[in-house]
Amino acid sequence: MSWVTWRQHRLEGAWTLAIGALLAAAIAFVAYELHVASCGAIANDYCFSDDIGGKIAQGLARFNLYQYGLVVLPALTGAFIGCPLVAREIENGTHRLAWTQGVTRLRWLVVKMTLVFVPVLVIPAVVGILEAVLINQMGSRPNHWAVFDQHAPMTVASTLFALALGVAVGAVIGRSIPAMAVTLVLFVIVRIGLAELGRPNYVAPVAFTTHDLNTFSSPPVGFPDAWWVDQASQYDAGGHLLSSGFKYSTQAAYAVQHYQPGDRFWQFQTIESAILTVLAAAFIGFAIYWVTRRVS
Amino acid sequence: MIAPIQATSLGKRFGRTWALRDCSIRVPAGKIAGLVGPNGAGKTTFLNLVARLLEPTTGEVRVFGRSPRAQLMLLLDRMGYVAQDTPLYPSFTVSDMLAFGRRLNSRWDQAFAEQRLRRVEIPMEKQIRHLSGGQQSQVGLALALGKRPELLILDEPVARLDPLARREFMQGLIEAVAEDGTSVLLSSHVIGDLERVCDYLIIISQGRVQVAGDIDALLGSHHLLVGPRVDDSVRPPGVDVVKASHTERQSSLWVRGAVPHMPDGWREEALPLEELVITYLSVPGAAALPRPELEEVPA
Repeated sequence: MSWVTWRQHRLEGAWTLAIGALLAAAIAFVAYELHVASCGAIANDYCFSDDIGGKIAQGLARFNLYQYGLVVLPALTGAFIGCPLVAREIENGTHRLAWTQGVTRLRWLVVKMTLVFVPVLVIPAVVGILEAVLINQMGSRPNHWAVFDQHAPMTVASTLFALALGVAVGAVIGRSIPAMAVTLVLFVIVRIGLAELGRPNYVAPVAFTTHDLNTFSSPPVGFPDAWWVDQASQYDAGGHLLSSGFKYSTQAAYAVQHYQPGDRFWQFQTIESAILTVLAAAFIGFAIYWVTRRVS
Repeated sequence: MIAPIQATSLGKRFGRTWALRDCSIRVPAGKIAGLVGPNGAGKTTFLNLVARLLEPTTGEVRVFGRSPRAQLMLLLDRMGYVAQDTPLYPSFTVSDMLAFGRRLNSRWDQAFAEQRLRRVEIPMEKQIRHLSGGQQSQVGLALALGKRPELLILDEPVARLDPLARREFMQGLIEAVAEDGTSVLLSSHVIGDLERVCDYLIIISQGRVQVAGDIDALLGSHHLLVGPRVDDSVRPPGVDVVKASHTERQSSLWVRGAVPHMPDGWREEALPLEELVITYLSVPGAAALPRPELEEVPA
C-alpha cells in the first residue's frame, strides 16, 4: 500500500514540496537580509541594505507575500491535497478497483493519509519556524500576536485540520471540485470563528484600569507585548458604563481596557493548535467511518 | 460443491427507488454465468452487493457460504472483480498496474498476469491512458486474473468494445478460466455477448430476477409453438405459456415445459437464446426460477 500511495501521489508531492521550498526560501532570504543590514536607526520599520539583495528583500517584504502565503497555504493544502485523496477515486470509479483488492479500506485510507499528511506537514512546520526567525529580525520589539497564525504550532495544526477536513468532505461529496469549495468555506468559518470568538478568551483577559483620563490613550502605552482584545470602556464614579471606544465623556471617572499579556503567547498557540488538532482527529475519524461503512 | 454466490431475498433501495428487489439466486460453481438485463435493471447493484461495495437493504448475499459483511477480506482475496468501465489509474503504466495488484493482494501470480498481457500484445511500459478501450479491458482482466481467483466477477466487461474486440476478450476469458475451473459471473445488456461463453443464465429486469438456469436446460424446456389462430385463453396442456401473440390467422405461443404431442396444424419453431431472453424481458411478470435449495452453510 505504501508503494501504491507513493506511485499515486508522487507528482502532487513534488509540486507541494516545490511551492513550500519556494516560500521557505523567500522567508529565509528576507530574514537574512534583515539580519545583515545595519541601519538600526529606523528600528520599528523594515531595514535593508542598499545592495541588490536588500532591494529584492524589500520588495518581498513590502508585499508581505510570505505572510499571506502562510495564512492561505493551509487552506489550499486542504483543498488541493485533502479533497482529491478519496474524492478523485470515487469520481473516477477507481475506488471499485482499490476496494476490491486484498487490503481493507481501513488500511487503504490510513496508509494513504499517513504517507500524504506527514511529509506535507513538514512544510508548514519549517515555514512557521522561519517566520518566527524573520519576525525577530524585524524592529526592536515585534508584537507576535499580530502574526499569531504564522507561528509554527498554528501553521502545522491548521494545515492538519484543513487536510482532515478536505479528506472527509471529499469522501462524502465524492467529487473533487465541489469538495474543494465546501472545504474552503468550512475552513474559513472555523478559523475565523476560533480567532474572533475563541482566541480572546482562552484565558480570561487582564483588565487595565486607569483614573488618569487626561493622559489615557487607547491602547495604553507601555505594553509592547500585549494583545488588546477590546476597546477602552469608560465608567462614571458609580461604575456605570458610559461609552465604549473612542468617544470621550466628560463625566468619566475611569477607563478599562482588556488585554492578553505577551507571556501567554505560547500558551495560546498551544491551546488553539490543540483545538484544531482535535477537530482534525474528529474529521479523520469521520472519514474512516464513511469510507469503511457508508460509501459505495 | 458450495455455491460461489448465493443471494437470499436480497434487496437494495436508493432513496425511494428499489434498484434490486427480493433477489434469490444461486450462481453455480465452476461455470460461466451470465447476468443479462436492460440498462438499469439492477445488474451492477447486484454485483456491487456481492463485493460489498454496497450494503443490502434487505436479505443477504453469501460468497462461498460466507457473509461479505463479516469476512470481506477473506472473500476479496478469493474474488477477482472488474467493475463497470474497467477503472484503472490513467497515469500508471501497465506494469505499475500489475505492481498495484501484486502489492495489494496476498495471492498474486505475476507470471500468469504477464502471460495474459503478452498474449494480447499489450506493452508493459505503456501508460494506461494511452491504451485503447479494448486494451484497458484486457489489463483489467489480467489484474483480476493475477489473483488466481476462485470467483471472477465482470460488470459489463465488453460494453465499450467493438465487435471484434468483444470476441477476442471473451475468447481470452474462456481460455484463462478453463485451467483453474474458475466460477465466473459476468453481466451484459447484450445477450449476444454472453451466448457463446455462458453455461448459465440469469435474466434480471426492473430490479427482479426473472430467469435463472442452465442455458441448455432453458433452451430444452422452452418452445415456440405456431398454429392457427386460437382464443387468448387457450392454454395447451402440460406447459406454461410465457407469452402469447396473435395475428388474424395465426397464434404464436411461447411455452415452458415438455410438449407431449403437437395438435393438428401446430408446429414448433426454433427459439434461439436471444429470442428467449427478449420474450421474458417483454413480459415482466413471467418468471422461470429454480426451486430454492437448502444448503448447509459453514459458519
